[in-house]
Amino acid sequence: MKERRRRKLLAEPPASATGDIAFNLIVFFLVCASVQPDSGREQTLPRSEEEEKQQQPAENIKVQLTRDAVYLNGSVMPPADFPGNFRQGLNRALSKATRQSDRVVVVKSKPETPYSYWITITELIEQAGGVVTIQREEEEEVIVPGT
Amino acid sequence: MKIKRRSSQAEVPSMAMGDIAFNLLIFFVILARAEDDSHLHWEPAVATEITASGAARVAVLIDSDNKFYVNGQQVGESQLAGEIDALLGDAPAGERVVLLKAHKDAQAMYFEPVIEAISEKGGDLVHVLEQRQE
Repeated sequence: MKERRRRKLLAEPPASATGDIAFNLIVFFLVCASVQPDSGREQTLPRSEEEEKQQQPAENIKVQLTRDAVYLNGSVMPPADFPGNFRQGLNRALSKATRQSDRVVVVKSKPETPYSYWITITELIEQAGGVVTIQREEEEEVIVPGT
Repeated sequence: MKIKRRSSQAEVPSMAMGDIAFNLLIFFVILARAEDDSHLHWEPAVATEITASGAARVAVLIDSDNKFYVNGQQVGESQLAGEIDALLGDAPAGERVVLLKAHKDAQAMYFEPVIEAISEKGGDLVHVLEQRQE
């Protein structure tokens, strides 16, 4: 006796569902993309009004930045020993700070100072326990005699 | 003679529902993109200690061409403080986070006015950075 050939079962997903599948995939990837949070460093800058209220002006630590050099209270930090020398100098200066206002480190940058360098220096200051504040270079009006 | 009216059934094809949803989604994605800054070109600076910044009302971006953007919209340097102030409004402390996304090579003459504007308007400044790879 001949056996009947078995019919092959074709189980195809309904074509009408492909749109929904695509839609759900897009939603999934969109949610994945939007969930990635930004990460960074919080920085609290002291308000200038608070500083004005102080009766005794504090002797702040001054850090000056150029494109590739850093000065701590006017003396240049040799790049060969950086950042060890800068960290040491900062710790020494901050150890004398008795009030919170003495921990304010005034950072003055030359206009061409890159952001990445500024971030490196301010990170070192904050790690040492200093409070960063910026001082922008004032525009100087030069009067040329005879004009 | 009576003519029977055929009742016509006009149904929206269910096959098209996926396409409609897809197009709606594209529309809203494009709309949201106008407020987004993911299409702008900038590279974050690196730092050793970074934390998740959380949600922020305002994001100021300085791209690789030193152009300023507030929540994805290009603004001039003089408009920065006003824009930040308008977006922060009367938000209470703790909800005044302003993200600063500055290109790593942006110069002080560009990023310092932004920091100053954020500080002036009482924003909580968060530098958006990348973790330094050891």
